[in-house]
Amino acid sequence: MKDSKFKPQTSTKPHALRCTLFALSVVCLLLGLTRASAQPAAEDKQATFFMGRVKYSSNDGNDCGGVGQDLMRLVSRASTLKIQEERKVKLTDPDLYDTPFLFMNGHNEFVFTEAEIANLKKYFTHGGFFFASGCCTNPKFPEAFRREFSKILPNEKVKPIPYDHLIYRSFYKIDRVRCLNEPRDIQLEGLFYQGNLVAVMCEDGLCCSFSANNTCNEGKGISPEDGQKLTLNIAVYALTH
Amino acid sequence: MTAVLIFEFPRGWLLGIPLLAAFGFLLWREYRRGLSAQRLLALGLLRVLALLLLLGLAARPVWLTREPPASATRQVALLVDRSESMSLDEHDGTRYQQTLDFMRNRLLPAFKSAHLPVQAMLFDQGAEVADGAKLNATAPKGKRTNLAGAIAHALGGSALPPLAVVALTDGIANENADNTRALTALVDSKVPFIGVGFGNDQGVKTLSLREVEAPSSVSTKTSFSISAQLEMMNTEDMPPFDLLLFRDGQMTQKKSVSPGKGSRCWLENFSVNEDKQGVHNYMVQLMPPSVPSLKCISVLGNVSVRISDEKELRVLYIQGALTWDYKFINLALHNDPTIKLTGLTRTSKQSVFRQNVESAGELLNGFPTTVEELAPFRVVILSNLRPADLTTAQQDVLARFCGELGGGVLMIGGPATFDSSWQSSRLEQLLPVVFARNTGVSGLDRPFRVQLTEEAVQHPVFQIADNRAPREAWAQLPTFTQYGRVDAAKPGAQVWVQHQTDDGPNGRRILMASQRYGAGLSAVITIQNFWRWRLAKDTETSQFDRFWRQLFRFLSEVGRQDVSIHLADQELHPQMDVRVVLEKQPNPKNISDTNKKFFVRVEDGQRNLLQEEAIELEPLRAVDFKFHAEKPDVYNVTVSDALKVPLTSRPIEIRDVNVEFQNTARNMETLRQWASVSDGLAFKVEECPAASDLVAQIQAKIEQVRRGKETQHPFGVNGWVLALVVGCLGGEWLLRKKWDLV
Repeated sequence: MKDSKFKPQTSTKPHALRCTLFALSVVCLLLGLTRASAQPAAEDKQATFFMGRVKYSSNDGNDCGGVGQDLMRLVSRASTLKIQEERKVKLTDPDLYDTPFLFMNGHNEFVFTEAEIANLKKYFTHGGFFFASGCCTNPKFPEAFRREFSKILPNEKVKPIPYDHLIYRSFYKIDRVRCLNEPRDIQLEGLFYQGNLVAVMCEDGLCCSFSANNTCNEGKGISPEDGQKLTLNIAVYALTH
Repeated sequence: MTAVLIFEFPRGWLLGIPLLAAFGFLLWREYRRGLSAQRLLALGLLRVLALLLLLGLAARPVWLTREPPASATRQVALLVDRSESMSLDEHDGTRYQQTLDFMRNRLLPAFKSAHLPVQAMLFDQGAEVADGAKLNATAPKGKRTNLAGAIAHALGGSALPPLAVVALTDGIANENADNTRALTALVDSKVPFIGVGFGNDQGVKTLSLREVEAPSSVSTKTSFSISAQLEMMNTEDMPPFDLLLFRDGQMTQKKSVSPGKGSRCWLENFSVNEDKQGVHNYMVQLMPPSVPSLKCISVLGNVSVRISDEKELRVLYIQGALTWDYKFINLALHNDPTIKLTGLTRTSKQSVFRQNVESAGELLNGFPTTVEELAPFRVVILSNLRPADLTTAQQDVLARFCGELGGGVLMIGGPATFDSSWQSSRLEQLLPVVFARNTGVSGLDRPFRVQLTEEAVQHPVFQIADNRAPREAWAQLPTFTQYGRVDAAKPGAQVWVQHQTDDGPNGRRILMASQRYGAGLSAVITIQNFWRWRLAKDTETSQFDRFWRQLFRFLSEVGRQDVSIHLADQELHPQMDVRVVLEKQPNPKNISDTNKKFFVRVEDGQRNLLQEEAIELEPLRAVDFKFHAEKPDVYNVTVSDALKVPLTSRPIEIRDVNVEFQNTARNMETLRQWASVSDGLAFKVEECPAASDLVAQIQAKIEQVRRGKETQHPFGVNGWVLALVVGCLGGEWLLRKKWDLV
């Protein structure tokens, strides 16, 4: 009944009026969208969390395309941190020194050039922080990380980070994280400079826990819940130490 | 206005009788000689006219003008004294309260029934119109009494002078610069002055504890002084009385004081030594002696002192949200065990994130709400905060931390932090800069370099490289892209760093500045992402680290008082040599400190240098220092180290004794003198007739003065009248010559 009552009225609207209303709606929608997208951009200028997605070796920084954005989203959702969109940076870019937090992920083997190693050495001694994650629990990436990062600082090798380290308590208090498919604890590994943790890596698909619905890592490595807590702890640690 | 012509010597007209008779005889003789009637008439008229003018002048004519009846538009000016002497408590209340009661209950109803409109005015050293609410809300605190100024103000305040000036006062006028002006105005306007005197004819003896002072921060097992400033007025001979010192509410010392006699202002010191660290409140209480009619204006005063050995310097970093600045400052302090950074970050409206706290309970409820919670810290950094993040009470705690405990407060951030929303806040009062009204500006993203001012080049905080001059070292800093805009530095603030190119309303944009605030120091850094200095590729990180360590030490050391300055027991008054005791404090952080050479500098209130000399100071060995205080002023004594970097300063106020309490007896003589020159009245309040009678007397005076207010001007003594007389007589002579009668 209602439909039949309304139909004649709507059908009698002049065509020009309908076009005008449609056009106005589109304009309003566009304005709304523009504002919605412009507002965060304006706020981003004050953002305090910068993240550089590293382009390295043959990796163009697009492994698991949305992982960088997902990391930023996780950080902003779980804390009051103001965030800025990810930047793609090469380890030889001058922009590296404007980016206090670097994120690197991948599935495969990689090798750093001498220039990349020299830059990373300076970056770490000046206070930069590096977060790396092997995707989908693929062993090639963590092996390359251990080898390459152990070349950066003299007498410093990548080593496991014990559970009494502050990084497990920097935001959430994490006593232990169990691996989903093996009878062992998940262990973060890291590189230290003068006692400070400057680079951290997880081989158990940590990046999958907050990106792509963990599809490639389901039932393996770290659980999404633990992985997201651990990731947030890493971000807060990087901002405070 | 009415006017009438009167003669001061009316008998002068009588001279006209013989003269008229003589004129008549002359005319008769000329008629007998055959002069025609027409000619006789012309001559006679000219002669009579000249005669009448001369007779009129002989009778001394005066033009008299009188004031019209009282106009409804004119009011009675009611002057109410609000000077401090009116605060003296006598009988059933203060003099001021008695004045208000008299005015409300007696005077105003009577004026109203007599249909006399009233305009009330409050006066002390100045005068202003006041309504009933203002009269009730006013506290009598005026430092001087200028009755003459108030009279002149009442008479000159409108086009029409008042019908009368009624003053309700104790008559103790101690400002006489306007006496001549008021006297002239009163006589010229012919307005009667009615004075009603309040207070006691014997005067009031007063004894007051005016102020209690102590150093803001002291090491344990170190003697320091709690100094009480006392004032005594109008006493012939005051018996000894007790001063009590309470520490955190418990009485710890008692001192008997023999004040002597006369009016004076002097200091009494308690020597204190504390074993344990903490913040203590010291209260001094004056126990008034039993002297009849002695009034004590204030008997209590208190002061907080922070006792601390401070083997490490604690810095509290408060953030509205996590920032990279915190991380990089933390890195700068990484290898310095003497500075400890504690973080307090707001993570949501209800939760905070604490780092490096000393105990499980420390800062558990977020930003401190008491100064005791802030006391363990020497420096507080505010980063990325909005006004909503700090309540007014919390801002007050910060101000007390800086001003009373001598702590350092640093605000750091960019455009989002230094914006107009902080304007007029308690925090803005504390900081060395004036916040800009408008924040929106284009071109903020343009890269810029920082530029040191001359003050910064000389300042130890900015010496960041051993082998390079400060300006050269700071020129190597990377470019920054954003900064918070402030309008200006406050008077007395020191600008350290400016924008290289951008100008604000008052010169180059300020990027770093500091100022003393009470016993402490506040500073701002308005550069967004200042941390980029440390991460930059070509930076020497040690310079960044050194800058922050030096800045924290500087901000914390100001309130520490490496050298204490205290005033010895003495009377304080102008034209005296003020005796100051200087004592170098042991520094638990630097026991091997052997520096002995210091400079003492004394400036007056206008920052003119009065005295500067080098002295040698050793820990815990007091050295006397004197300077001459010529006039009442706030003198500033500053002790600097061998490089003339200021270590400690202390303002010392030298003032005249309170003139309002110097002589507190009601002064009816003043009121009588004003009344006599204006044909008015002067009463003691207790001798005042009934209100209706009083107003009737006032009305009568108004009428009498108004009637008596005649103005007299001599009439006719001018060139026109003289010309007329000469014209008449000259015309008469010409006619006679023409008719051959001469």
